[in-house]
Amino acid sequence: MVEVKLYASLRAAAGEKRFLTEASSVKALLREAKERYGNEFAAKLKLATILVNGKNIAHLKWKNTRLQDGDVVSIFPPLAGG
Amino acid sequence: MIGGYMGKVLEVDLASNRVKKYALPDRMLELYVGNKGLGARLLYDLLPPSADPLTEKNVFIVTTAPLTGSGAPSSNRFNITTKSPLTGAIVNSNCGGDFGIHLKRAGYDALIITGKARRPVYLKVDGDDVSIEDAAELWGLDTQKTQEKLPAGTGKIVIGPAGENLVKFASVISEERVAARGGVGAVMGSKNLKAVIAGGDQKVRVAHEEKFKNTCKKWRELSRRHPATGEELPRYGTAAFVNKCNATYTLPTRNFRYGTFSEADAVSGETLAEKYLVKNIGCRGCPVACGRQVELNGKKIKGPEYETVGLLGPNIMNADLSAIIEFNYQADLLGLDTISLGNTLGFVMEAGEKGLLITDLAFGKTSGISRAIEDIAYRRGLGDDMAEGVRFLSKKYGGEEFAIHVKGLEIASYEPRGAVGQGLGYAIASRGGCHIAAGYPIYLEANGPITVDPHSTIGKPGLVILNQTTMEAVSSLGCCIFTVYMFLPRQLIEINARSRFVSKMIRSGFLYGGNLIGRALSLPAWTLPVPPPFFMLPQVKAHAHCTGRRFTLGRLMELGKRVVNMDRIFNLREGLTAADDTLPARLTEELQRSEEPNSRVPLAKMLPKYYQFRGWSSDGVPRSKTLKALSIEQEPSLPGAAADSSGAAIAGN
Ligand code: SF4
Repeated sequence: MVEVKLYASLRAAAGEKRFLTEASSVKALLREAKERYGNEFAAKLKLATILVNGKNIAHLKWKNTRLQDGDVVSIFPPLAGG
Repeated sequence: MIGGYMGKVLEVDLASNRVKKYALPDRMLELYVGNKGLGARLLYDLLPPSADPLTEKNVFIVTTAPLTGSGAPSSNRFNITTKSPLTGAIVNSNCGGDFGIHLKRAGYDALIITGKARRPVYLKVDGDDVSIEDAAELWGLDTQKTQEKLPAGTGKIVIGPAGENLVKFASVISEERVAARGGVGAVMGSKNLKAVIAGGDQKVRVAHEEKFKNTCKKWRELSRRHPATGEELPRYGTAAFVNKCNATYTLPTRNFRYGTFSEADAVSGETLAEKYLVKNIGCRGCPVACGRQVELNGKKIKGPEYETVGLLGPNIMNADLSAIIEFNYQADLLGLDTISLGNTLGFVMEAGEKGLLITDLAFGKTSGISRAIEDIAYRRGLGDDMAEGVRFLSKKYGGEEFAIHVKGLEIASYEPRGAVGQGLGYAIASRGGCHIAAGYPIYLEANGPITVDPHSTIGKPGLVILNQTTMEAVSSLGCCIFTVYMFLPRQLIEINARSRFVSKMIRSGFLYGGNLIGRALSLPAWTLPVPPPFFMLPQVKAHAHCTGRRFTLGRLMELGKRVVNMDRIFNLREGLTAADDTLPARLTEELQRSEEPNSRVPLAKMLPKYYQFRGWSSDGVPRSKTLKALSIEQEPSLPGAAADSSGAAIAGN
């Protein structure tokens, strides 16, 4: 199982903090998440940063990044603070 | 007169009860503008070299900027500049309380305080009338009661018991906002100055009123439409970064031993919003309102910021958010910087664990912390040593390798082994371990929406220079540094998330272009004669319409570089050297994670390039041609220097 953690306004749009999936890639996971949570969530996903085990997918294989049992995917909207 | 300025500064000598009011040279305002930049120049000119920060010789300077009180969004900031008793370096502490607005209403762009009062006083600035008032009844009160006792309708800066007792990391409070870092509160305390109040009925006159109003309106809209400043920051506050830093191994945990905390979500901005948030609060005139009002035990109080949560939470292994809220409230009442406080507690806990000192404080245990905070503020028992900060503690008890400070200033809540550019920034920052003076490169390395490889050193010196230069400039314009988040516009974030190719191009631009950018920034202002894009840096156009002076991207960058160099020559004059541009051994030598071989900061690889791009020698000394190109005079240039004892006598104690 892959654990997907949602944060900030993505968490609010989804109505839950996390879900488990058997998706084998980030692309499949995103498809599943959009179907699961609907349009508002999908719109926010357009600006999201996706990390697999703490690494931005931009430094991995982008949306083709493969997922394995035990992986943790974290999805964040653009944040600010300091 | 140039738009936005009130045309004079007020200088008060507490020893002789004399005041001087004078205009600053136009050239000085043109070069250093306001807030941080102007403060740095004034301190360099007015402070006798090598003065002890806690003696009457230190100079306490409050500066504003043209945009302060002008109606521009997120720009009512004022800045406190002085020589830090914690570091011996320059400290500039920026604050969003309303004191700056009221100081300008009283008719002054800056306030300079010298000397030391014989007994506790407060300074009252009522337009042209300036008096030094007895503060016997205020002395000993906390920051909230002190503000309540002072006349309503005025702008106030006050200290609490920590400032009175010269705690080296005592803060200054204005409304509920804090000028926190570097012990600015102790400097007020050392002058027997409990508070300053200011008020008047003058208005800030802007040069091009209609254009200015339109620009501010568009700026507000931009801020509201931006996903970070328009949605996430108002909704979750700055503590929204807890989870993001946790996910990227940049959340300081167990005295910076680790970068992740298994219970981070329990202390996150999301949990704060869900369980405690009553409403958003913020600095005057800011559409973002990133501050929190929370309810705890039936009481409505100010909620903690990200930095406080990180350092009074994961850094001491505390997953109890209600305890963090309480500690934060207590620290604000006593007037303590929560960043230094969290680090000091973390250091003592680790030193206690290692048998270097005897303490009941322990990681993961909240009992005893409230008492320790009070002991620090009143300098009781071990609290007396803790009041001196982490550097002092490590020299006295040992443990320098895990004493988390730079130049004596405890490090902010970002673990740099998860973002090595941030490590370089900390090492080089003029005031010490400050995330803002570091340039906040971590936003482009780990916690922002577009990030380069956080462990690679490629491009990092240039990236740090670009960020630092921009932030110092924006800060000198009087704007909150959070206005810089618009630098990455929504469209860029969206296209970066959509297209792998574009994302790679943008990141390569930052990564490989970083050093190029660093070099480009050493070009003179006339080579960039255009204004920056409005949708990225609206502050610049607002500043130009406010002052009536043309302001280009080149001048913005030149301003930032000038401030960095001004701070640098001040620190060098006060005896700091390149040897102080360093990090604690924990961060440069210990691996953060055994599975990540690059999880330490390779500082020695980045520092020489940084010096080179800045136009500094290999010893970190600005070359004379660098200073000349930035029109920085090394001779004090202010006509009325502090040592000059002229000026009108005023009523005083
Ligand atoms: S963004 Fe937050 S810190 Fe900045 S001015 Fe607004 S309320 Fe103050």
